[in-house]
Amino acid sequence: MEEMAVVDVSEERRRRRRAGDPRLSAAGQEVLARITTGDLADEFQAALDADLEADPILGGHHHDAA
Amino acid sequence: MIVVDEYLAVRVVGGRWPEGLPDDEDLVLPAARHWRLLQRIHAPGDGQLSGLLATLSTTDRDTIRFPHPEVLGVADPRPLLDEAARLAARYGGTGWLTGETLAAGLTYGRALWFGTQRNVGRLLASAADDLGIAVHVVT
Repeated sequence: MEEMAVVDVSEERRRRRRAGDPRLSAAGQEVLARITTGDLADEFQAALDADLEADPILGGHHHDAA
Repeated sequence: MIVVDEYLAVRVVGGRWPEGLPDDEDLVLPAARHWRLLQRIHAPGDGQLSGLLATLSTTDRDTIRFPHPEVLGVADPRPLLDEAARLAARYGGTGWLTGETLAAGLTYGRALWFGTQRNVGRLLASAADDLGIAVHVVT
């Protein structure tokens, strides 16, 4: 009788989740890293805050900055 | 489900998993926060950030526009909307972003995960504390 390979589905899902989007190029990875943890993080946060100021439905009556 | 902010969403899409972020459940980004990411794509400003995003290929941009379901989900706003409106009113007109984020936190494990303290917001932090929602920041 042939043996069947046992695949840990949860571990495979975890591995794929941690690997990021497989469609993203290396150049795209670098851009996203600069936005979140690199030299553009301040500009990114300013843009997110500006969205709240510009749109009262999104940001409410009180701008919720940290 | 683990509720994340824009920073963690972008980091995870980019394959840079933050130390301390649990990896044993699916990640979900509230729709209002996905909306803010989409503004960077569709309504760019004139800064360096917008210029850099404009250089991304269509496929790269699609990773933010339509996140890969095995990597990041976007929360369906409809089941959260009534609770979001209730919470926004309760805490003084916080708006959709904070109301929906709090509603997502209540619905999915009473926890919220952020990639920077700057993106938490004072009103959200105060309301989360009042509601018994843990706010985690992983950098």
